[in-house]
Amino acid sequence: MATATLTKKKVRINGCVASAQAAKYADVDVIAAYPIRPYTATMMALAQMVANGELDAEYIVADSEHSQLSIAHGAASSGARVFTGSSGVGVHFAYELYSPISGSRMPVQMMIADRTLDPPGDFGSEHTDALATRDMGWLMGWSCDAQEAFDNHLLAFRIGEDPRVLLPQMVCQDGFFVSHITADVELPDSGQVKEFLPPYKHPYPLDPRHPVSHGPQIMPEQGPPLQLERARAMEGAMPVIEQAHEEFAKIFGRTYDPWLEEFMTDDAEVVFFLQGAHGVTARHAIRHMRSRGVKVGMVRLKTIRPYPTDRVMESLSRFKVVGVIETNMGLGSVSSGGSLYAEACAALYESPKRPLVFSFMAGMGGEAIVLKEFYWMTNKMLDAQKRGSIEKRTHWVGFEE
Amino acid sequence: MSTKGTHIPDWLAVPFAGITPAPTQQKGQDLFPTGNWRAIRPVYRDKMPPCNNACGTNEKIQGYLDLVKRGKYLDAYALIKEDMPFPSVTGRVCYHPCEQACNRGKYDEAISIRAVERFLGDLGQALPHDVVKAGAPNGKKVAIVGSGPAGHSAAYQLARLGYEVTIFEKSPRAGGLNRGGIPDWVLPQDVLDREIERLVELGITIRTNTEVGKDVSWDDLKSNYDACVLAVGLTDPNSARAEGEDKDGVAYGLPFLRDIGMGTSTVKLGPRVAVIGGGNTAIDCAREALRQGAEEVTMITVEANTSEMPAVPEDLHDMIEEGVELMHGLAMTAVLGNGKVEALQLHAARFSGKVNASPIAIDREAPAARFAVDNVIIAVGQHASLKWLPDEFKNERGTIKVDRFGRLGDTMFFAAGDIVQLGSGQPLMVVNAVGDGKRTAFNLDKVVRGEPLQERMVPLDVITDLARMNMTYFPKFARVQQAMLEPVGRRKTQEEVIQAFSEEQAIEESNRCFSCGTCNACDNCYLVCPEPCIVRSVRSNGLYKILVDYCKGCRVCIEECPTGCLEGVPELDFDSGVVRMDTAFAITQGLHGRQKNELESLSERPPKDIENWS
Repeated sequence: MATATLTKKKVRINGCVASAQAAKYADVDVIAAYPIRPYTATMMALAQMVANGELDAEYIVADSEHSQLSIAHGAASSGARVFTGSSGVGVHFAYELYSPISGSRMPVQMMIADRTLDPPGDFGSEHTDALATRDMGWLMGWSCDAQEAFDNHLLAFRIGEDPRVLLPQMVCQDGFFVSHITADVELPDSGQVKEFLPPYKHPYPLDPRHPVSHGPQIMPEQGPPLQLERARAMEGAMPVIEQAHEEFAKIFGRTYDPWLEEFMTDDAEVVFFLQGAHGVTARHAIRHMRSRGVKVGMVRLKTIRPYPTDRVMESLSRFKVVGVIETNMGLGSVSSGGSLYAEACAALYESPKRPLVFSFMAGMGGEAIVLKEFYWMTNKMLDAQKRGSIEKRTHWVGFEE
Repeated sequence: MSTKGTHIPDWLAVPFAGITPAPTQQKGQDLFPTGNWRAIRPVYRDKMPPCNNACGTNEKIQGYLDLVKRGKYLDAYALIKEDMPFPSVTGRVCYHPCEQACNRGKYDEAISIRAVERFLGDLGQALPHDVVKAGAPNGKKVAIVGSGPAGHSAAYQLARLGYEVTIFEKSPRAGGLNRGGIPDWVLPQDVLDREIERLVELGITIRTNTEVGKDVSWDDLKSNYDACVLAVGLTDPNSARAEGEDKDGVAYGLPFLRDIGMGTSTVKLGPRVAVIGGGNTAIDCAREALRQGAEEVTMITVEANTSEMPAVPEDLHDMIEEGVELMHGLAMTAVLGNGKVEALQLHAARFSGKVNASPIAIDREAPAARFAVDNVIIAVGQHASLKWLPDEFKNERGTIKVDRFGRLGDTMFFAAGDIVQLGSGQPLMVVNAVGDGKRTAFNLDKVVRGEPLQERMVPLDVITDLARMNMTYFPKFARVQQAMLEPVGRRKTQEEVIQAFSEEQAIEESNRCFSCGTCNACDNCYLVCPEPCIVRSVRSNGLYKILVDYCKGCRVCIEECPTGCLEGVPELDFDSGVVRMDTAFAITQGLHGRQKNELESLSERPPKDIENWS
């Protein structure tokens, strides 16, 4: 690649538009859309691109999210690269389609701009909408800002469409904090994208020239081998993910750890374990507390499916206390807090050196987690470190002394 | 890594994401034997169409109508001949209980079955050789007494079974009631002659002018034959029990018709004729009287109106059309006149109980009416003449005493037709006599061969009614009517009143048949099966096959079967053919694995030319 001829440009756009730009750079064939805020901004941006002739794609507006995902499924079956997206309850209205799409190994890409589930109507970000579908066979992870969102969309296409993987992807970003906050994004040269992302080719698309039958009725005995193969694909995605990130770094010059972002963890004793946009605030809080001598850090989970169990164990075992910031709801779950706690603890179970683990119910309903709440949570962790035990598993931040 | 060390055995190997290559029906069904989902299995079970059941001799009516639809006339004729020796006769004279029972009658109009039967009968008459052949001789000799419908039928069936048959007929010409009881304008004599010839062609000997009790004795029959069927009919007319019946100008119904039929009639009718009686013979007499020169014919019945008359409604209608007058609620109590009938004395009368099944109550207190006539024909039924029969075989009804198989005790004598059916509740009709003759012949054969006898039984549930059929498939169509001679002209001639169907009419009318409860190869199941798992090699009755390994039991074929032949039978009623869950993965183990390889080599195949699909 001749870097001299690159026409990269820096633009100031929000997360929704960054996602739309990524879809454009990926030259998607079909866009299945149905409006729901905050995702609507993405479909609007794409509509403009198609209308302006910037993007040559079939743009289909469905009559519901269920239809939207059905259209995406059908389009992918015919061999198209498909982009879709939704938010909050919209994600859930399409729930039926998630397993069929991954089961038929269609690498549909879905952008999620998180929105709190009802009740009542709440536009704020909470990860529960997408997390509820986390075991449906979709690759899944959160971006913490618009640039990362843009990059993750390209990465997800590359990984999901890899013939060794062939799985759909949910590329998630926090509503508002990422989706509607304008930030600097470097848009690459289209040649870079072409080099990174080869044209999509499903091995057995619906094609009258080579007729095949997709999704036939199967017998009970056929379920397990197909599920085992789907599990193999999910696990087999791990080296592909790493390889893709390496190549991404080479081509685009931005290096990401595909699994975890560790911030100031080298000598940290207590760390936050979280996903998504609150990591940006956390970095500020940590820097501030570090200036006061507190050995605090952050481990941000970048990919939750496939879940990097060994990496999480290896990383979190190095600390004394881990505070999981949930940003999701796990009513009546292990910690009676959120679902991320269970993911963290389960990864740590086999560790010879287990840290104390808290679940912090923070960022719920789209509330910002403000700096002083990070300080409050840090104090809770430090207290526990001092005491050698936790006071209780879950704290509802902002509702306790 | 949870999937580390996992191994999918060959027999469980599946193609990528379960994608099925080249989804042919056969392959798909082999791979996905969904038959084990089924709780209800569709089964073709032909049921008894109501026409077949109603027919006095159980002709396979639905069967021959279906063959006529397809233009297979000879097959249709052969089918009818299994039960009916002379469709050309019954195609003209039958009172067609089949048409009364026809399900189509509850929908629009009954099928004109008799007309189709006549079409086939006439076709058979025109054949140089009949399709029916005598059976291989079994060395047994049978005597049949009487050549009427019952005797004819018994002789025919026994000849087909290989018996050496001799018919004794007391009249100069064979045919019995067919000749002597049915006017020429209903059944032309040459039609009957041809049917009698067919009997002779089967090797049957017919000895006319030979009367049992006079020319042949009971003992002759007993010693010279292995078995004997008495089908002598009811030959003697009933009296009206009126005074003066011995006067000139008084005739009796059956002898009146018989003499005309035999060509021995000496009756000369005056212009005014009265017919006493309200049944079918009375109607024939009234209409014959017109053709014998009568100007005014009046029918006098005890029945209070036409609907009470025990007559075939359309014959009654045709008679009225020809100008016969009716007088109801009257009995003839005396024939008045000086040596010759001049008038009738009539009294008001009614049945004392059930109409046509109880003694007549005559109101002799009321003033008598005088009705001037030149002739009177009394047609109030017949009775047997059995002077030659040993008393032990006579019953209280004055007929022959038989068991339920038509056998006289444990002798080798059998009896059939009106002579046993009078008073039994069975209609005294040609087709019933034919059926009785047929069944008696089969019973006789079984007795000769020492086989046990079985009664004919039809379970009610196998007679199809409209509720079991899918009427969506049957548009309403009017019955094809037979042409008839104009009433004014026909009343003076012996020409056949009712005209034959043309070939087109026979097909059109047969096409109206619902094929109640019986597969007629309509292909509907084949077409509606959503899978498809109904196969056929050729379009032909009974040749559809359900692929039981694959049929899910969705019932669509059952619901959409127009005729109700397809039934849903609970799967538990079967002990075979069910694919069990634990082996249902594929009919042949490893098929999916082979399919996996096939899927992988898909790209090596030449693509289909989708631009030039035909």
